[in-house]
Amino acid sequence: MTEALLVSNALLWIAVVVLAALVVALLRQVGVLYERIAPAGALVTGNPLPVGEAPPVVTVRDLAGVPATVGGASPDGRSTLLFFLSPSCPVCKTLLPVVRRIARDEAGALRVVLASDGPPAEHAAFVREAGIGELPYVLGAELGLAYRVGKLPHAALLDGAGVLRAQGLVNTREHLESLFEAKERGVASLDAYLNATQQEVA
Amino acid sequence: MALDPAIETTLRAALALLFAAAALHKLRDRAAFRAVVDDYRALPRPLGRAAAALLPWVEVAAAAALAAPWGGAPRALGPLLGAALLAVYTGAIALNLARGRRHLDCGCLGPSLRQPLSAALLARNAVLSVAALACLLPPAPRALHALDAFTVVAAAGALALFWSGAHRALANAPRLAGLRVSP
Repeated sequence: MTEALLVSNALLWIAVVVLAALVVALLRQVGVLYERIAPAGALVTGNPLPVGEAPPVVTVRDLAGVPATVGGASPDGRSTLLFFLSPSCPVCKTLLPVVRRIARDEAGALRVVLASDGPPAEHAAFVREAGIGELPYVLGAELGLAYRVGKLPHAALLDGAGVLRAQGLVNTREHLESLFEAKERGVASLDAYLNATQQEVA
Repeated sequence: MALDPAIETTLRAALALLFAAAALHKLRDRAAFRAVVDDYRALPRPLGRAAAALLPWVEVAAAAALAAPWGGAPRALGPLLGAALLAVYTGAIALNLARGRRHLDCGCLGPSLRQPLSAALLARNAVLSVAALACLLPPAPRALHALDAFTVVAAAGALALFWSGAHRALANAPRLAGLRVSP
């Protein structure tokens, strides 16, 4: 009798462990599915600036307080990637290495500008700590308003003539790269691209 | 009140696994853990830096002390160290929940499984603290049997899997919520 109970108990423990492993495997699969259905491109929400038009030229200040302008045709013909961030935004920090790499690799065709607002001292400390001193960093609440920035990190891509080519909320490297893809393909956003292809099919 | 030695060994093994896993993900990506400690804003920055460097090693010590087959007074070291770590984490989470900063990454399972702060984490830590402190109860006078070894391995393995599953479910919850609001 005791032996029967021992065998039964051992079998039940094995069943518990196998079931627990199955639950973990299922939840892993659910996690992968969530990752797959997340938006693949930069997310455009609310009332975005119209793509294909030139946003207003905005005067901002860099960390030293020197005025600078953002927008308008660039003298060297390079495109401009505006990356809106905040020292208190964790996702912004995880994207900084990607932004730096893009700035380095595309230096011939692209100028990267980091934009934020708030007291300069706080931003100077952030720049030192993150090691992003090589990138221009401008401050000005007007810039965020002009580009209708909702959630951070937000990015906007202007071409050499100062015309807005792509924009949106960027949470991953793929989202950032989707801006360049959108510019090359001449679509405003991934949503617009998908809608257009769906209409072609229909 | 006495605790059966098989239950105590199971709890110790499961908690040792938990702290070892927690230390491992923190040591693997130190920069990510530093960022998590910064974002909690519970300590001034230099102290936060020191805490971020020290905490993984306290977790390693807790895991080792829980797993060590010590008798007598050192027996209490592992459970107390574990409970102290949990109290520190619970305090930091409760502080930020009180500030309304729920969007923070908990930092519980490393950078790959982000999850926001929630009251569920406080309940989780309370359960873990009770489990750690239960190991301080005097052991029941019973000789361990070969079958106990099987029970301990199976139960600790099952608890580790439940732990992993529960965290995956917690990490998935905000993603589901995100799908509900977006069109």
